[in-house]
Amino acid sequence: MVFANGLHYVFLFSKTKTSMKNRIKVERAILDITQEDLAKRIGVSRQTINSIEKARYVPSTVLALKLSEVFKKPVNEFFFLEETV
Amino acid sequence: MNTETFCEAEERRLQKLKNFKLPNYFKKIGAIIVLLSLLLLFSHKLMDFESETFRYILQRTTLIGLLFVALAKEKVEDEMIQSLRTQAFTIAFIAGVLYALVQPLVNYMVFTVLQSEKEPLSDLGDFQVLWFLLTVYIMFFYFLKRRQA
Repeated sequence: MVFANGLHYVFLFSKTKTSMKNRIKVERAILDITQEDLAKRIGVSRQTINSIEKARYVPSTVLALKLSEVFKKPVNEFFFLEETV
Repeated sequence: MNTETFCEAEERRLQKLKNFKLPNYFKKIGAIIVLLSLLLLFSHKLMDFESETFRYILQRTTLIGLLFVALAKEKVEDEMIQSLRTQAFTIAFIAGVLYALVQPLVNYMVFTVLQSEKEPLSDLGDFQVLWFLLTVYIMFFYFLKRRQA
């Protein structure tokens, strides 16, 4: 069977891992705010923001939507799924 | 009271139970209780005065101190901290069960090698298992928290 999307081919015949990347640091720089400021605005600790930026922690949907409100952009403009082999 | 309000009340009570935490200052109180209890336990062994009741009480106060430290809130209690708590509880639970299974065998081997007169194969006491469980939870929680920083 031929798949139009090459990614499906990768799924079937090799082990892939889905990870999440983000542009939180870039968006924060655009707004010119510190991690502490962003943390206060969405009601979490600075450590949580740091962990999200380093992709060590995947935030909940609620937190992602709060970030979306602060950045005034949809969630999928600063969170991306990435397939790695 | 209609069904919807009853369900909401039940949900609120369940949330309160799930989110139950002691205030942050209980961490210091718990640490002081644990240190004092352990100090008294060790010095009690060295003293001539031996009392099972005294030892029992000190073991319980140690567990209470550890529980205070385990249940105390962090300064900022957010979803990441909740996630780390869950991971630490899981690890501690599994480690506790493995400890309860393996430690009597280790004791048996030690007693056999030392040819001790004490009974070689015996169950662990509740204090040992609970102390181990709480200590592993606290250690892993702070280790995971430090790793995220």
